Amino acid sequence: MRDRSHILACCALVAGFAAPVVCTAQAAQRLPGELAWTVGYDPKTFDPAKVDDEESELVRYLTAGVLLRFNRSTQQIDPSLAESWTLSPDGKALTLKLRSGLRFSDGSPLTAKDAAWSIRRVLDANTKAPVAEEFLDASAVTVQTPDEKTIVVHLAKRVVGIEKVFDEIAIEPANRPSEARVTAGPFFLGDYRRLQYIRLKRNPYYQGSKDGLPHASGIRLDVLENQEQMIRLFLRSEYDFIDNLPPDYFELLKHKAPNTVRDIGPSLNTEQMWFNQAPASPLPDWEKSWFRSQAFRVAVSQAIHREDLARIAYLGHATPAFSFVSPANKTWFDHNLSVPHMDPSEIKAILARAGFHLEAGTLKDAQGHPVRFSILTNTGNAARAKMATLIQQDLAALGMQVTVVTLDFPALIERLMHSQDYEACLLGLENVDPDPNAMMNVWLSSSPNHQWSPSEKTPATPWEAEIDRAMDLQATSNKLAERVQAVDRVQQIVVDQQPFIYLVYPNALVAVSPQLLGVQPVVQEPRTFWNVENLSVQGAR
Amino acid sequence: MNVRRIAFALLLAVVTAAAAIVMRPGASYARQDRDALFASSSSDHLAGTDAMGRDRLVRVSAALLLCLAGAAAAAALSTLAAAGIGAFGAMGPKSFGWLTLLACDAFLALPWMFLLMMVRSAIPLTTSPTASAAITFLVLAALGWPACARAVYRGTKELQKSEWMLYATANGLRRTQMLRILVPNLLPLLLPQFLISVPAFIVAEANLGALGLGIGEPLPSWGGMLLELNNSATLLQTNWIYLPVALLTVVLLLLEAITVEGS
Repeated sequence: MRDRSHILACCALVAGFAAPVVCTAQAAQRLPGELAWTVGYDPKTFDPAKVDDEESELVRYLTAGVLLRFNRSTQQIDPSLAESWTLSPDGKALTLKLRSGLRFSDGSPLTAKDAAWSIRRVLDANTKAPVAEEFLDASAVTVQTPDEKTIVVHLAKRVVGIEKVFDEIAIEPANRPSEARVTAGPFFLGDYRRLQYIRLKRNPYYQGSKDGLPHASGIRLDVLENQEQMIRLFLRSEYDFIDNLPPDYFELLKHKAPNTVRDIGPSLNTEQMWFNQAPASPLPDWEKSWFRSQAFRVAVSQAIHREDLARIAYLGHATPAFSFVSPANKTWFDHNLSVPHMDPSEIKAILARAGFHLEAGTLKDAQGHPVRFSILTNTGNAARAKMATLIQQDLAALGMQVTVVTLDFPALIERLMHSQDYEACLLGLENVDPDPNAMMNVWLSSSPNHQWSPSEKTPATPWEAEIDRAMDLQATSNKLAERVQAVDRVQQIVVDQQPFIYLVYPNALVAVSPQLLGVQPVVQEPRTFWNVENLSVQGAR
Repeated sequence: MNVRRIAFALLLAVVTAAAAIVMRPGASYARQDRDALFASSSSDHLAGTDAMGRDRLVRVSAALLLCLAGAAAAAALSTLAAAGIGAFGAMGPKSFGWLTLLACDAFLALPWMFLLMMVRSAIPLTTSPTASAAITFLVLAALGWPACARAVYRGTKELQKSEWMLYATANGLRRTQMLRILVPNLLPLLLPQFLISVPAFIVAEANLGALGLGIGEPLPSWGGMLLELNNSATLLQTNWIYLPVALLTVVLLLLEAITVEGS
């Protein structure tokens, strides 16, 4: 008996480590006409100027009144609190004209002074607003209010897509920051219980929907991390939609409630792998030389069956990728990009020309070192783990021995950003902004986020110098055609050099309750509630 | 025929069947049949395939052999270490015994989950799946000895009070000579400890694998296969998905029957 209890104790001990942390939403009762969905964790802040995480950004999107709104459907700028705006020919002065009769959710009038105060607060270094970086030189920006309805923003230098920055600046009552309790957006914060829910109420003075007020009486956001539970509650009509579905759960819902799921097609996001080319990395010299070899990278890229990655890892809900611009990106996708076609004999020829040869089934370099490397990815992402395993077999066909390693994010980031002790990495990039200018920090060779070789003092290769020049050109030109041409050139260099080996564009997958009215899902996030003021639950109005 | 013998015979049969499946010509636990994802039972794949088109029966069989062999080796190492540490602690000076017990308690109190994560992060990334399996079981062995060492310490102390031990001491036997007499007398204590450790290590590996900290792909492990059960979307695909957990339960029950009867 003692032994039996010992075994059980051991089992319980070890089982305890694997027991998932179940986050139980203490869902409050749904109020009449209220929309409900989930957030993965508690927002770090409700101060719209300090938003730096996904869930805080979500609350800001639902509550903030903004001067201009980036329309997620048309990918164009729409007027919001400002009825019109003009940009000076040199791109350094933006004049915005407010609509008449604007009021905050507490009934107080909204004037140009409130708008100017809110913009200045964001620009103030003491606020530490992340959006201030987008002004390039925030300290040199000035804001003027010639009259009650006009705001003029003077920039130190031209900023590409400056209008879009105002989509992230909430207009608050001057000198009365309220952490979303008084807003000019469709909703304001009514109630918040940590680890349970956030309740937003309709702004009775909002004028932005098709017929005035937001259609829903409010929104309840349950804090719920567990996807299994979220799916169950969605099927019980507790939630109105799921904004970002993993492919396996998409298939589950397709089986159980086929009229709820929608595959909107390729998203703006990318999944890619890259080799560590950083000169300071602790890798042996021969490995560094493989990873710096264009032929090696191209051979690896061509050996990967991207269709299989999309079909197996994403259950068909992804599109093979060769570039950082997704076909969902209407303005910037290059239809004429020249992408290589997979040909096993050609791959072998490329490797042979670069000095690699097969010896007893193992690929070796010119010095006889067997080609062995690891691919790092993060734990908890089933699709990435599957892609890495598929790539492992694809590269085994070339004689390469690949180890797949999954690490938790802190350990992964430590290796990527600090020790640089890794060989290859497979991760994704969420592109919230379709304008490639938002990816300057990835492509400029001097950037710390230039992942394959961060913070280069001078471009390490001629093609990296050419990318720098093209990205600078697209950032400073005021002609769209010129910008598009520069970005097309960067895309072609990336295809030719493969510093990032793009794998797939995951599709945008959502689930929407049949009771939800006014919903028009789009690929860009927020996918389902980008027009939240027009959403309502059937029978509630 | 007692329960222990029946359990042992059944376990042997399961292991033999698993070995036959793994060694069958053409069997591969890593080969991906990308046109047969989640395939149902067929002559090519008796228990169907997994999400990557790999033969489920071959993978489960390989995982069984790997885990049993690894857990048995880890249990042997752990028991051996515990026997050495416990016996030396008991036979040495009093302060030595006190230090031994303190070390056991300190080891038991260690947050070994974090230790395992640290070890996993520290090992070279290019470590092959086979080496990662060996390291996983070695780490389990290194962490599994303290409870057993405490038991051995107590057992040795008890033996020291026995008449034959007092007689040996009175006759002036040296410590090494006494150890030689002591070890066979400790065997009835060590064997159950070994048998207890085997299923505990199997479950520990399964849990580590389920957390992504165990044996690397494409080598199959129970933990990796149990991960599939974590997702209700996958459960719809095929009932063969329950095979690993069913076999794990059977093996654990058989091992427990052997342990209980044997202790």
